Amino acid sequence: MTDLIPLTPLGRTAPYMAAAGPLHISEQTDVALASLSIARGAPRPSPFGLDLPDAGKCVAGDGMGAFWIGPNTWMVEAAGQAETNFAAALARAVPDCAVTDQTDGYACIDVTGSDADLNRLFAKLVNIDPKALITGTAVRTGLDHMTVFVVRRSAEQVSFLGLRSYAGSLWHAIETAACRLDA
Amino acid sequence: MTRISGGLIDRTSPIAFRFNGTSYQGYTGDTLASALLGNGVQLVGRSFKYHRPRGVFTAGSEEPNALVELRTGAWQEPNTRATVAELFDGLVAQSQNHIGSLSRDLLAINDLLSPFLSAGFYYKTFMWPRAFWEKLYEPAIRRAAGLGSLSMQADPDSYDKGFLHCDILIIGAGAAGLAAALTAGRSGAETILVDEDFELGGRLLAESGHLDGVSGQTWAQRVVAELATLPNVRIMPRTTVFGTYDHGIFGAVERVADHLPDSGGKVRQTLWRITSNRAVMATGATERHIPFANNDRPGIMLAGAMRAYANRWAVTPTRTDTDKIAIFTNGDDGHRTALDLITKGVPVLGVVDTRKDAPCFGDYKVFAGAVVSNTKGRHGLTAIEITQNGSSAWHHVGALGVGGGWNPNLHLASHHRARPTWDQSILGFVPPSDGPSGLIPAGAATGQGATAAALASGMQAAQKALSDLGCRTDPIDLPHAGPEPSAQSEFWLVPSPKRRAWVDFQNDVTVKDIALAHQENMRSVEHLKRWTTLGMATDQGKTSNISALAVMAELTGKSIPETGTTVFRPPYTGVSLGVLGGGDTGQDFRPKRLTPTQTWAAAQGAVFVEAGQWMRAQWYPRDGETHWRQSVDREAMAVRSGVGVCDVTTLGKIDVQGKDAGEFLNRIYANTISTLKTGRVRYGLMLREDGILYDDGTCARLGDTHYVVTTTTANAGLVYQRLEFARQCLWPDLDVHLMSTTDAWAQLAVAGPKSRHLLERIVDGFDLSNDAFPFMACAELTVCGGLRARLFRISFSGELAYEIAVPARYGNALMERLIEVGADLGATPYGTEALGVLRIEKGHATANELTGQTTARMLGLERMVSSKKDAIGAIMSRREGLAAERRRLVGFVPIDDGNPIVAGSHLVKPDAAQTFENDEGWITSACYSPHLKSPIALGYLADGDTRMGEELIAANPLEQQQTRVRVVSAHFVDPDGNRLRD
Repeated sequence: MTDLIPLTPLGRTAPYMAAAGPLHISEQTDVALASLSIARGAPRPSPFGLDLPDAGKCVAGDGMGAFWIGPNTWMVEAAGQAETNFAAALARAVPDCAVTDQTDGYACIDVTGSDADLNRLFAKLVNIDPKALITGTAVRTGLDHMTVFVVRRSAEQVSFLGLRSYAGSLWHAIETAACRLDA
Repeated sequence: MTRISGGLIDRTSPIAFRFNGTSYQGYTGDTLASALLGNGVQLVGRSFKYHRPRGVFTAGSEEPNALVELRTGAWQEPNTRATVAELFDGLVAQSQNHIGSLSRDLLAINDLLSPFLSAGFYYKTFMWPRAFWEKLYEPAIRRAAGLGSLSMQADPDSYDKGFLHCDILIIGAGAAGLAAALTAGRSGAETILVDEDFELGGRLLAESGHLDGVSGQTWAQRVVAELATLPNVRIMPRTTVFGTYDHGIFGAVERVADHLPDSGGKVRQTLWRITSNRAVMATGATERHIPFANNDRPGIMLAGAMRAYANRWAVTPTRTDTDKIAIFTNGDDGHRTALDLITKGVPVLGVVDTRKDAPCFGDYKVFAGAVVSNTKGRHGLTAIEITQNGSSAWHHVGALGVGGGWNPNLHLASHHRARPTWDQSILGFVPPSDGPSGLIPAGAATGQGATAAALASGMQAAQKALSDLGCRTDPIDLPHAGPEPSAQSEFWLVPSPKRRAWVDFQNDVTVKDIALAHQENMRSVEHLKRWTTLGMATDQGKTSNISALAVMAELTGKSIPETGTTVFRPPYTGVSLGVLGGGDTGQDFRPKRLTPTQTWAAAQGAVFVEAGQWMRAQWYPRDGETHWRQSVDREAMAVRSGVGVCDVTTLGKIDVQGKDAGEFLNRIYANTISTLKTGRVRYGLMLREDGILYDDGTCARLGDTHYVVTTTTANAGLVYQRLEFARQCLWPDLDVHLMSTTDAWAQLAVAGPKSRHLLERIVDGFDLSNDAFPFMACAELTVCGGLRARLFRISFSGELAYEIAVPARYGNALMERLIEVGADLGATPYGTEALGVLRIEKGHATANELTGQTTARMLGLERMVSSKKDAIGAIMSRREGLAAERRRLVGFVPIDDGNPIVAGSHLVKPDAAQTFENDEGWITSACYSPHLKSPIALGYLADGDTRMGEELIAANPLEQQQTRVRVVSAHFVDPDGNRLRD
């Protein structure tokens, strides 16, 4: 085990979290990410028993999840495995697929709160009808000139995944919008 | 005081405000304009060009005259229309566009000079001396003809933006809009109702008529109350839809805190992008006036506005409540104003009606077949001249209402360039039939301005929208509205050959100016506008455009539709740049990308530089270094003599996998990639389709079907996009998978003769010897006790060098560790500036050299463009024009020691004139080389490879700089490349 001390995307030694307006925002740093891509026409695999979702959707299993990120391509998530070589494990599970480590490619910022407050937040951040951003939805869209994945985990929880290098700007955008909801 | 009875103001809630330093009182529900009128203030501003005294002319956002500077200090905003500025406690406003006091404006001299200031005067004047324009004429004209002034302080307010989606957007909450909203709301459709006013109801608030036995105001309030209970309806007052965009998208600005004395933490305004399936345009109509001599005096306003002030705000536009009011009209609508004023006990002189058979609807005097032919009153109207049956007489009045008919507010329907259609029955333009799809006009915006017709039209528009969307289209019970006489005659102006009659008040355009435009053959509407500036002020000619067309039509003898019409562009009313900016300013104006070593670099006091959106460490100053060159020279020398570490994460990294990955890369790169062995790296060139160099970088083969491509920082996104296009569109048959990993891996360049020594201290038992891991090798390994990493033996500096990649979260710690464990080796962090020096010394090309005009041949790399296979741009790179290119990348040193060479300088022979004809190339990159202790440069020179030792001039004529230079090899350091292979 290395003795180097990792930093979170926000440049801290521990995940950052904050209350912002009626919502709670937190950096998620323990989830491993790996992209999985299959050849055109190839059968859709079921890594670790996950039923890979259709376009615009996400699924969650036991500590695992996946969301669609492009034609024949998914992002597979593994809670608590950020410090492991999850991409290698996934590649072993789906030997005929292209797997790329994305754990540190993205900053994942979770926002929790009431369904109504989350929907009000969406109206300030992304040009997507909140009625379409229901539980089980995952979309790629623009947010303050950044590209993000918006993954609606539940009525009370959403994850914004933006490129790691943009983490500070993404946090700023989300926090500012959340704080203004009740201003 | 000229307050009268009734109105929608709250007399129990007085509000104190100041105008031009004087304290006044208004009430909740007032606008600044109504409150000023309630205090008998007629004179509120000066006109744009002639500095004529001006008063409130309208009761809405079409106002041309009553522009003020609202608030003070940094919050001061010029050109605010007093007619839509909601009164709040402590409001402070100043009139604008005058020198000295408002009543004694020194620039009123312009009015006396008006014969010299006609339309187009400055196109013909101020022509010479030419140099005077910028220094004298323009500043003087701007001073005299400006509108409000800026505070010159930063905007202290915050702004926001957002996105809304709905089935039906209803724009305007008058009779038609409310009927539409009720129809749509009750059907269950997701509905958004917006109105620019703070009170919903539109003209229902301004009229005295009844709906089902209750006032229009009460009916509107009841409808709004019901809409507020419907969960599918969002009501947005104080919101202006300013533009129609493609695909049912509308731009809107919500004034969140403009009406509050203190924003209390709220944003000032929010910019909304509203995406609708259908939209109902219930934007109402704007009344037009009738130009006559001296028709611009304070106290003269639109008759419909006068009715609104009386009914909604309980004020009249006279200075005292004993002043009489007259109405000048060409139709029945003007009579309604007289009737409402009489009902409220306001003294009315009578109605001057241009129609010989003018009707009379009550107990008031009608001047039939008459016109108002002149007016008097220095700072406010005191008398009007009525001409009837050839004889004229003066009458004392304190105000005059002018009604010349109503123009539908069809702007939003015309934003896609559709031309409005002339409707002779209403004497106005109506929305075009080929307007934006999904936009359904209704009510007065279509000429259906009578209350009953507007209500029905609104409901039908909503039903049409609902039907289009496949929703229920149940009708609503529309209230009964009484008849509203609306006959009018076609009467456009009162001829006044000797006096000025204003058409466009805000830009001071008169009938005479239009006649002059006609005389100068500026007869098309577009020419007329630009010649006279008619309709080009902040009000965009809402009260003047049609009247101007009518005047031009009379002059040309054509009909109005033959004369032309004008289309509209967004914004409908002015939009502040602050809100268009979306809210974020300063450091947050655009998103920033931080490198994995940002935290450590900042702690070292690094100076950062923007590289695209990235913030990169430019150099790391140390104590005692007072100039950037000291830091950069030290860092560069540390690399040449020991070892340096630089964060190069920003270079693009693209994971390329798949059984056809090699073939795919063969087609992407000009050189061959498929022969690259696993565990090796190759430098690669990408060409554009036209054969010009596109990007360069390395390609590492990590496995049988796994490559990692690197790109330049600037082109990271573009190259990825290009690869995706090739994969998806050009060669979809290839089995290739792409994924960007730029952010996933922190990548550090470790360069210098001691770099191997340094890395040996962190790798976990990995053999770094030259035999085991030679130049251009790559491997996956672990470092620092088990951390997975990728190592590439590549060099940008020309030294023995490596790039090591670790998961991004460990980048910061790895940087710190390398510097720490390499202290005895002289391990030094270096920034982009030293990186640049090192690569210039080595003669490596970068963005400065890859300019979009550069070929592989110019870099001496033509052999890399393989002729054994095809690749993007390969064939085009061999076309005659490029093959004949003779410029080559070479190095330059100054002949006179120490003379810097300026990048961008052009190269000419020493005895040649510095002209384009003699241009032989240019300097692409230049720096001071601490290694050579001399300025050095790279550049493209015609036949450069055969001109070593020749003397040239690097000329920078723009700054009278020229440096004598000698042509040398581009490789100032280790031209044989022994160091990097060591």
